[in-house]
Amino acid sequence: MTRYLLRRLPSALVVLAVASFGIFALVRLVPGDPVSTLAGPDASPEARAAIRADLGLDQPLLGQYLTWLGQLARLDLGTSYRIGGQVKDLVADGAVNTIVLTVTALLLAVVVALVSSVLAVVLDNRWVNAALSFGNTLAIALPTFVTGLVLILLFAVVLPVLPAGGTPPDGFIARPDIAAQYLLLPAVCLALGAGAALTRFLTEALRTELRQPYVTTARALGISRRRIVLTQALRNALPSTVTVLGIQFGTLLGGAVLVEAIFTWPGLGGLIEEAISGRDYPLVQVLLLLSVAVFVAVQLLTDIVHAWLDPRVRIGGAS
Amino acid sequence: MSHPVLEVRDLAISFAHPRPAVRSVSVTVDEGEVVALVGESGSGKSMTARAVIGLLPDGAVATGSVRLRGEEVLGLPEEEILRYRGRRVAMVFQEPQTALNPVRTVGWQLAEALRAHGGARGRAARERAVELLREVEIPDPEERLDFYPHQLSGGQKQRVVLALALANEPELLLADEPTTALDVTVQAEILALLRRIRDRTGTSIVIITHNMGVVAHLADRVVVLRQGEVVEEADTRALFARPRHPYTRQLLAAVPRLPEVDDRVLELLAEPEPEGVAHEMATPALEYDDVHVHFGSRTRGRVLPAVDGVTLRLETGQVLGLVGESGSGKTTLGRLAAGLVPLAGGRVRVAGTDITQARGRRRAALCRRLAFVHQDPEASLDPRFTVGEAIREPLDVHGVGTRRARDQRVVELLDAVRLPASFARRRPRELSGGQRQRVALARALTLEPRLLIADEPTSALDVSVQAEVLELFADLQRRLGFACIVISHDLAVVNAVADRVAVLRAGRVVESGPAARVFGDPAHEYTRRLLDAVPVPDPTVRDATGPALREHIAS
Repeated sequence: MTRYLLRRLPSALVVLAVASFGIFALVRLVPGDPVSTLAGPDASPEARAAIRADLGLDQPLLGQYLTWLGQLARLDLGTSYRIGGQVKDLVADGAVNTIVLTVTALLLAVVVALVSSVLAVVLDNRWVNAALSFGNTLAIALPTFVTGLVLILLFAVVLPVLPAGGTPPDGFIARPDIAAQYLLLPAVCLALGAGAALTRFLTEALRTELRQPYVTTARALGISRRRIVLTQALRNALPSTVTVLGIQFGTLLGGAVLVEAIFTWPGLGGLIEEAISGRDYPLVQVLLLLSVAVFVAVQLLTDIVHAWLDPRVRIGGAS
Repeated sequence: MSHPVLEVRDLAISFAHPRPAVRSVSVTVDEGEVVALVGESGSGKSMTARAVIGLLPDGAVATGSVRLRGEEVLGLPEEEILRYRGRRVAMVFQEPQTALNPVRTVGWQLAEALRAHGGARGRAARERAVELLREVEIPDPEERLDFYPHQLSGGQKQRVVLALALANEPELLLADEPTTALDVTVQAEILALLRRIRDRTGTSIVIITHNMGVVAHLADRVVVLRQGEVVEEADTRALFARPRHPYTRQLLAAVPRLPEVDDRVLELLAEPEPEGVAHEMATPALEYDDVHVHFGSRTRGRVLPAVDGVTLRLETGQVLGLVGESGSGKTTLGRLAAGLVPLAGGRVRVAGTDITQARGRRRAALCRRLAFVHQDPEASLDPRFTVGEAIREPLDVHGVGTRRARDQRVVELLDAVRLPASFARRRPRELSGGQRQRVALARALTLEPRLLIADEPTSALDVSVQAEVLELFADLQRRLGFACIVISHDLAVVNAVADRVAVLRAGRVVESGPAARVFGDPAHEYTRRLLDAVPVPDPTVRDATGPALREHIAS
């Protein structure tokens, strides 16, 4: 297992290194520059040059890149040009909100997928399948901004039971009940697409498992179909589902930007939008690199879980 | 309680769309009896068994009667079937590699089988599981409980499948081709085990097989099925001695046999091997010179030798048979001839040229002279190609002749494998297994190869079809004179076509020589064991070979 991890680690580091360069270059390819946004349209050329020198933007690009890498290595993320304050603090503040939102959405998606796909396979009823398939298609087809607005309209305006947006005033830990109310709508909105995709995949994976010879063996022993699904097929379908879950996590990260905007949820999504429009290089770079790092870490994690779930990889051995 | 354990009357199974089904089958199985259902694919033997255990595929409609101890079970609702399935009737399947859940331990699966019928749980279940593993003669049963299926050999897996089936002490065991996927020596062990289980527990056994050797070895009574109907039913000895129905006679005649040590072989032995002068001059079609192949990589840890110092020669126009059990390296040797496997040591020469050194055009020229025929014609033909396209493809790739000439060649080749020219427009799924293998053979012959490698060419075919394909193959080989390597686990198949044989074990050649000599008078102990393990299609030798078999297992 450790050997497996060691084998995977170098490629993950290479991905990060390539990504860091790509991000650095990409940010500078965007038209406009931080000096004009900071100095304003009427600034004198001297003032602009002063700002440029101050930010280190007069250095050659390669030098700037290496300086940035050096800072990263010392865990010094720099200062935001525009918003002010340490990038570290800005990111940390937003990260908590975003993590709570995406993790909740992920859990919701997993629970929905498990329950509905097991139901679909165990009941194997035409009407249940039709209903699930309808819900599924709807959840995948509707764009987030539509479902978000519809959810707000239904549960905050027509039936005013939940807040329309914002984060819980007392934080997530002091009053979990209130936090849950604030979290519910954005999390559901974010989870819909991933949950539907996951349901679809898991249902198909379970059906495939049920066609495997070991299921015939189990049935010939007089074990009921329901029990086979729950104790055998599900366990076999798990490794591949974990891989899909890892990929879905990436789409959740992307979706979070939109959902945060709809529900005025002050997370990294809003921050990234602000940083890009202000050409706030240090902040944009760190945020983008962070999302790549999270994605790489999640992929690594899913691979490890995948290997661990499969005794043929975990234990190895004959044949 | 005079009811037989199983009584099937006028069973008929049909599907919404026409498919091989059961028309009218009646079978009775008495207590402690071993009944063989024999027939080729599509004869309905598996479907009959599935009807007994209530596991017919979706959409199958069964009529007639299936009684267990006089109780009708056909058409029972699923909840009631669950109560007798696994407890009164159990079933063992063909493919032990996939019959067990790969992510659960052996102990877990046994416990689950016990739990299904309210049997022992927890510690008691574990004890019972150990007992069951002991019953199927698995060594160190306590330890094996925590093994996952992939940690067991094929034979051990089949023993575990058998232990699962025996968990709730069924009165009737249905065994669907239980040894077909196993090596001969392992097959012999499993057959002996089945017999001992019957003797010890009095469980009735219905064995479904296409192998007349297995029938002769195990069955008390035989029911011969053809296209969903019983054509003959008789006591095993009587059936083998006096087959009444022509189809039974045809089945028996189609079984390829191994040579007995008779006068002809002894005569042959008296002559010195015609090795030497004549052969030294000609370049051999294929030459393995102290060949080594490793699997796994040094950087990742384990290195397994797959081929370990093999030296063999195949003369032009000769047929060399490679026999051995799984893991013996026979397939690897075949793939080596095409340079498809990296060589760890030694040389492989095709018509005098080192295949691993040849590059570019030289390599292409060598490969053109070389063809493969694989085991599973269903997997080796592209389902979207018509037969004609499949056969013509090598000509197109190498740009041989004009379009008309190529089409003409396709017709010739179809004719050579005794298929009508109209088959060129069909697609593989419209053909039977034997027809597909003929097409695969025609495709292999398209470029007039000088060397043909046939890897288990008839293993997926029924016996009668196998006999036809082997005969066709031998005929084509004689006429076209290509050199050939035939790889098979089936000694009789190799015997039918090969001039010379090499017996492989764990990557080494244990014995090689003329086929008649190796099979008729084996010099090596392992060859003798392989030969002894082949179930002979003759029930009268069963008692003679029985004890000998047991000795081998012990050794």
